[in-house]
Amino acid sequence: MADILINVIIAFLAGSLLLGLHRKIMARVQKRPGPPIIQHLLHSLKFFFKETAFPKTVSMPFYIGIVFILAAIWIVGVIVGPVTHDSLLILFGVYAVYKIVEHNSGSSSGSPYGKASCVRAVLSAATELPLFAAVVLVYLVTGSMNIGNIISYQAANGPLVFSIPLAAIMFFLLLLSKSPYSPFGITKDKALISGFETEHFGFLRGFIMFSESISWYVMLWVFLTLFFGPLNVVGYVIGMIVITFITGFINAVTPILNPNHSVMSQITIGAICFVGTVLMILI
Amino acid sequence: MLDYLFYLLTFVIGSILGLLYSYKLHGEPYVADSSLDIKALIISVVGWVLAFNSGNVILGGIGFLLAGFVMGERPGYGRKETAIGLAIAIIIYLILHLMM
Repeated sequence: MADILINVIIAFLAGSLLLGLHRKIMARVQKRPGPPIIQHLLHSLKFFFKETAFPKTVSMPFYIGIVFILAAIWIVGVIVGPVTHDSLLILFGVYAVYKIVEHNSGSSSGSPYGKASCVRAVLSAATELPLFAAVVLVYLVTGSMNIGNIISYQAANGPLVFSIPLAAIMFFLLLLSKSPYSPFGITKDKALISGFETEHFGFLRGFIMFSESISWYVMLWVFLTLFFGPLNVVGYVIGMIVITFITGFINAVTPILNPNHSVMSQITIGAICFVGTVLMILI
Repeated sequence: MLDYLFYLLTFVIGSILGLLYSYKLHGEPYVADSSLDIKALIISVVGWVLAFNSGNVILGGIGFLLAGFVMGERPGYGRKETAIGLAIAIIIYLILHLMM
């Protein structure tokens, strides 16, 4: 239990700092000073002490419940990943539920912005296809869905990024989609204000930001663990910073795609990488 | 894992203190002084060197607190100092771990 608590707090703090770094990198690329790296964490904490207002149009049980479900699924992500090294399928389930949360969070708010974001959340489920394909390819190569076994396989045979690089690109596509201000971030397009989060205020928004920090940490951890073999803490820190840097740079120089282009790009890249990896495995 | 939590917490606390101190020192609406701050440089070098090379939880925590203090300063301040401190700490780390 203590291990879970420690890992969740680490995921929250490290994820917040990485998202702060992400904002800073984007700002520097765009020749702005940008906020301090600590800003995302301060924002998250600030919301817990802000007044929480409930719009009249909300569907109350969903509106509140969905926020706690969001926090719960990413805490499950921490438990399945860094704590127990359990099955990848549970992590895939976590990501699938996350999409449902995006959808319901938008629809329960009663706001037109939330509802538009809710519809786009269904479209953006296209990101799950590359994720699922990457998981399948990792299974085909290692013969296991268990993260512990996959780490052992890589310890014996070298990191998977060298044997199935296209699968790693597919997974990276998911990271890119989930990163803030992503070209594929159609659910949080600024035309929709804050998308499905628009009507969540005060401690509810605090919980959402808490969950987002944890989700960023968990996804980076899973990516590094699946494709870069057994890593020590320094390896994880460097890897997380490098990936945050790359996604920050891409997001700073790439405009957001419209929903159709976003979905088609993700599916096309996913399909090419999947077929390419299968060919590499067969040949 | 408790060690890493301790390091993260000290870094965060250091950053918050650095931000508050820096805003108290520089209230201007723009970056008024971009010269190298020797005091911040010393804090940064000591902080990063301790953080990376002390091998002790308490000293490492103090190192991250000091490093966070300079790195967390108001945007536009503490950047060069952080870069120099980080570079020196990494060089010392490499010398200690790769050359020995």
